[in-house]
Amino acid sequence: MEQKLQKLFKQAKYQPESRLSGDIWRVINIRDRKISIIKSWSYGFAGLLSFAFLIPTINSLIEQFSQSGFYQYLSLVFSDLGSISLYWKEFMSSLVEAIPVTSLMLTFLLFFILLVSFKRAVFSYRSQLLTA
Amino acid sequence: MYMDFSDEDLIKEYLEGNQDSFKILIDRYTTSLYNFIFRFVGKDNTPDVIQDVFIKIWKNINKFDISKSHFKTWIFTIARNTVTDYLRKRKMILFSSLDKDEESFEDNIKDESLLPDEALSKIEDNEYLNKTLDQIPPKYKEVLVLHYQEDMTFAQIGEILNKPTNTVKSYHYRAILLLRELILHQDL
Repeated sequence: MEQKLQKLFKQAKYQPESRLSGDIWRVINIRDRKISIIKSWSYGFAGLLSFAFLIPTINSLIEQFSQSGFYQYLSLVFSDLGSISLYWKEFMSSLVEAIPVTSLMLTFLLFFILLVSFKRAVFSYRSQLLTA
Repeated sequence: MYMDFSDEDLIKEYLEGNQDSFKILIDRYTTSLYNFIFRFVGKDNTPDVIQDVFIKIWKNINKFDISKSHFKTWIFTIARNTVTDYLRKRKMILFSSLDKDEESFEDNIKDESLLPDEALSKIEDNEYLNKTLDQIPPKYKEVLVLHYQEDMTFAQIGEILNKPTNTVKSYHYRAILLLRELILHQDL
């Protein structure tokens, strides 16, 4: 009975229109392209935005480095290496303290966003070309 | 080239960026899913529902875990859920609407006389079989279709229906009884 029923059920299968799978594939491709376009624009926008913020942040970082005396401490490495080797612990702590941590982290973060956005925008653009 | 690939290999290929491998999966399962969906939503609505099913598969394919289930079981689970949503939206009968009595039967049907030759010869007519199936409640019909048309085991069907295997066997038993009753006592 089992085998007979299997045979009968398979015989009674409905046949879809031959273009159905092609139509489904086309719809999926259209959606894929739309998503890729949205993604590449979004990532492109995020990249531009992070780039726009990166320039003043870098300027501010450079300014903060000079205000904190970081460059002066650093120049000692080239001018007075003997004193540094004697008081290296104090020198290192002064150098670290002179680093504007918040601005530096913000710069790295923006730079990271810029790189990731650029990478993803290129990837989305490439998949657009592949599905075209 | 990819035609001989297993479903799992095609999924891997697709996830690695080979777009064509998903097209092969669509070609491979369109007829099976079409037949399953057709029996619950009718001919006119099937293309839209099957399209939704494939879009869901496409969207979630990166979440499919090869080690946890078979691709065929997974896509039929998606198809069943999509059909359920579709029927619910249209306030049509649901698979679970007849879930009152779910006692299990220990064994699968062994009795050959459940569907005698007289009944089997009647359903040799495809149209007759399809019309008879249309009269069977969805939760029984889906077991028959998945078992006899898609060659699925009761355990696999249980996975799709989210029911224990014994409950699926029970549904199967009742479905065969209903089929027999309809064939022997009705003129379609």
